[in-house]
Amino acid sequence: MSFNSVSFLIFVCVSVILYYLVPKRIQWFTLFISGMFYYIYSCKLRILYLFFTGISVYAFALILDKLNDRKSILKKEKNAKLLEKNKRQRKLAVFFCCIANLGLLYFLKYWNFTVDIFTDSSVLKFENIIMPLGVSFFIFQSIGYTVDVYRGKYKAQRNIFKFLLFVSFFPQMVQGPISRYNDLAPELYAERKIDFDNIRFGIQRIMWGYFKKIVIADRAGVAVDAIMKDVWSYSGSVKAFSILMYCIQLYCDFSGGIDITVGVAQLFGIRLTENFKRPIFAHSLTEFWRRWHITLGAWMRDYVFYPLSLSKPFAKLGRFTRKYIKGKAGKIIPTSAATFIIYFLIGIWHGANFRYIAFGFWNGALITASLLLESVFIKVKAFLHIDSKKKWYRAFMILRTCFIVFIGRYITRAPRLKTAVLMIKDTFLDFNFADLRNNIFTSFGLMPIDYLVILLGVILILVIEFKQERGIEIRSTLAKQNSFVQWLAIFIPLVILFLFGVLRSEYISASFLYQVY
Amino acid sequence: MEQLMKILEQTCPGVDFNSETALIDDEILESLDLVTIVSEIIDVFDVEITVDDLIPENFNSAKDIMALIESRRG
Repeated sequence: MSFNSVSFLIFVCVSVILYYLVPKRIQWFTLFISGMFYYIYSCKLRILYLFFTGISVYAFALILDKLNDRKSILKKEKNAKLLEKNKRQRKLAVFFCCIANLGLLYFLKYWNFTVDIFTDSSVLKFENIIMPLGVSFFIFQSIGYTVDVYRGKYKAQRNIFKFLLFVSFFPQMVQGPISRYNDLAPELYAERKIDFDNIRFGIQRIMWGYFKKIVIADRAGVAVDAIMKDVWSYSGSVKAFSILMYCIQLYCDFSGGIDITVGVAQLFGIRLTENFKRPIFAHSLTEFWRRWHITLGAWMRDYVFYPLSLSKPFAKLGRFTRKYIKGKAGKIIPTSAATFIIYFLIGIWHGANFRYIAFGFWNGALITASLLLESVFIKVKAFLHIDSKKKWYRAFMILRTCFIVFIGRYITRAPRLKTAVLMIKDTFLDFNFADLRNNIFTSFGLMPIDYLVILLGVILILVIEFKQERGIEIRSTLAKQNSFVQWLAIFIPLVILFLFGVLRSEYISASFLYQVY
Repeated sequence: MEQLMKILEQTCPGVDFNSETALIDDEILESLDLVTIVSEIIDVFDVEITVDDLIPENFNSAKDIMALIESRRG
């Protein structure tokens, strides 16, 4: 049941009505039932993977909770020997829980790829593996919960159905966010009266998401797919055009999906963590990734980067580099190495393919280099008398970041890594403007009106995001208008969606790109 | 406190550590800065700071960081 299907809209309407009709104390249970229905409808028996994660994490968290209680008692008794044993037990519990679930993720996502690397034989391969919906989102979210319980951040949830709701809250299943238990659980289990502001804001956000997804992303995707099918027939300029369209597609697809997710949750009065914060205005690649898929970055920071950076091997590395490499470089080499590992992991998180490994290297290497060369950049800026606060320089930084991201997108969109490299080469060495002047655009499955729709849509998004970047809350401003204007703000996008989305859906409807991760 | 201020100012020049009270909440310190500062503190003060200590309350101001160091010394 895709977000952009009629069945999903009907399902959401029924779930919302049910949620507000039942007694408040069982509202959370209707969310659980909705989630189960959604998952079984979308994935059939693959819900067993979700149950595996949900039940194993639930059980390990209870064990950790008991061990934490025991730890408090032993601390009071000042029993060092048993405290050490308790520490080992807690570490073992969290380790087995993570291994079991990351092992499942590895099996589903990377097993066949690993077999392909090491052997030509297909005996060890499982050809029929179909990824369950949102597998890495619910596994990462559950592991975060386990580690937080291990760290004593909060107590484990004792009601298994409530916990399964946390794991399977349906709006999050397609593309996150990866929520934290202490943020999401109170929202899920709260008792609520219907609030029409939430309904109106929710619908507006959903409409905005559908506009980005159906009107812009799916349309841009048609041209991207058409060019990629026959990529060697075109010069570098057309190849660059296809990647530009892909950047638009991905930006609108992912952010549109997030808008729908957040909007649907808001219909239930549930506030989800924001997962996308206008990355187009990022001044650096690091900032770009901090704004794009925010919760994945935060998860990597809290559960991988910090433990890795403060681990014993990295502490040893730090002491070594500080001793033998003078200056700032000696201090930041260990953190730079950990940063490289994180971006590499984020790269391969996207999929089992050499392209994603290369994508991880691309981001990791650039960010690590920028960290190590920071002092050189500061000296160069001082030498050239560049004021970092000047508008032109900030604009330059944004454009530079966009360019780096643009090059990175060749790697993720090309069918193979070698194709990506050759496409980049052609873009720089075989860039022929004349090709873009011909009637070539209409041969990509889109009509001139479609390009106009994409262009106007992108301008609208940029204007709105620019205003948001300057601190102007569009929805709050809209909320101050009379109700006629507010409902018009829902009706107009609805007409646009109908005219440029639904009516043309026979050739442009597509699933969400992040759905497969 | 002097040693700590030296570490902080070397890691993040330009930040007023005497008056800032929301170093983490206002995203003045990034994760990289935080890890660099923690590594330095571990070395200079010879205390054990683990990943569990990396919560905003311990790093929002120079005073909070000093309190964390003191608690680990004690």
